[in-house]
Amino acid sequence: MRALVIDDSKVMRRIVSGILEGLGYEVQQAGHGREGLDVLDGGWVPDLVCVDWNMPVMDGLQFVSAVRSNPSWRQVTIMMVTSESEHGQIVRALAAGAHEYMIKPFTADAFRDKLALLGMLPQEVAL
Amino acid sequence: MTAYLDTGDRRRSADAPPRIADLIDEATIQSIAEEAWSALVGEDEYLVPLPGDPLVDAVSSWVEVVGPWTGTVVITTARATAAELSRCLLKEHAPPVLDDEDVDDALGELANVVGGNVKAVLPGPSSLGLPEVGTAPEAGTDVCRVDLLWRGQSLTISVQDSAGVLTEQNNQQKNEVPL
Repeated sequence: MRALVIDDSKVMRRIVSGILEGLGYEVQQAGHGREGLDVLDGGWVPDLVCVDWNMPVMDGLQFVSAVRSNPSWRQVTIMMVTSESEHGQIVRALAAGAHEYMIKPFTADAFRDKLALLGMLPQEVAL
Repeated sequence: MTAYLDTGDRRRSADAPPRIADLIDEATIQSIAEEAWSALVGEDEYLVPLPGDPLVDAVSSWVEVVGPWTGTVVITTARATAAELSRCLLKEHAPPVLDDEDVDDALGELANVVGGNVKAVLPGPSSLGLPEVGTAPEAGTDVCRVDLLWRGQSLTISVQDSAGVLTEQNNQQKNEVPL
C-alpha cells in the first residue's frame, strides 16, 4: 500500500512516515499541499494521504478540496493530521472530503487505531 | 411568596466576558506540554515545574493565535536543549549530525502542537499561524508562564498577549475575550 505524508515540518513527516513504513507502507513525502498535488499529478496515486492543515503555499484544506474535485482520485483515503482541534474546523475538513481527523500530539498506537478505523491497516498487520 | 428583586447585579456578572487569564493558567499549560512531550519526545520524558539556571544561547519557537483573543505561545530553551529535543523527536530517524534546520523544525513543531492545544481551550473561532523560530519575539504581556525542567535543562513556555505592555485599565479591557 502507498501513503503520501504532507506536512511542512520535516520532523513530523519523518515521524508519520516512520509509523507508516513500520506498517509496510511505501511512503512519499511532500512539504505542502501543492507539492502533494504534484505527486498525484505525476501519477503516483496513494491509497492513503496524511495531511497537515497549516502549511505555506497550499494548506491541507485546499489540498483536500483539490483532490476531491478530481474524480480519478476518488478512491484516495485522506486523514488530516493537525494540531487544529476546534470542532468547527474538524467539521470543515470532513465536509471538504477528509475521512478522518487526527489531532497532534498523538502516539503511534493512537495513529494505528485511526488507520484501523479507516480500514487502512495492511492485511498482514490487521490480522 | 418571595418577591424577586432584579438588581441587575447577577446579570451584569454573568454577562461579563471572561478574561484570558481566567481561561488559561499554569496548570493547563503544563498539562498540554506534558501531553505533547509524552507523545512526541518520549513516554518516559517528564517536565518538572521548577525554574532552572538562566539560559545560555537561548532559542525560541512560537506560534500566533488570532481570534477573539490574539497572542503568542512561545517556547524558549537553550539551543543545546533544543538539539537534544530534536534527537528525541526524530528517534531512530535522526541524522548523525543535526543541522540548525532540523533543530528549528523540531522546536517549531513543538510550539505548533502546544500552541494548537492552547488555542483549543480558548473561545474560537481562531486561526493558528505557522511556527517561527529564532530570538524570542518582542515580549508582550505574559498572560501565563511556566518555568520547567526537562532532563534538568531549563525550558519556558509562555502565553503572551499581543497587546504588549498596557496600562492596567487598557490591559483589563484587552484581556477580555468576547463570547
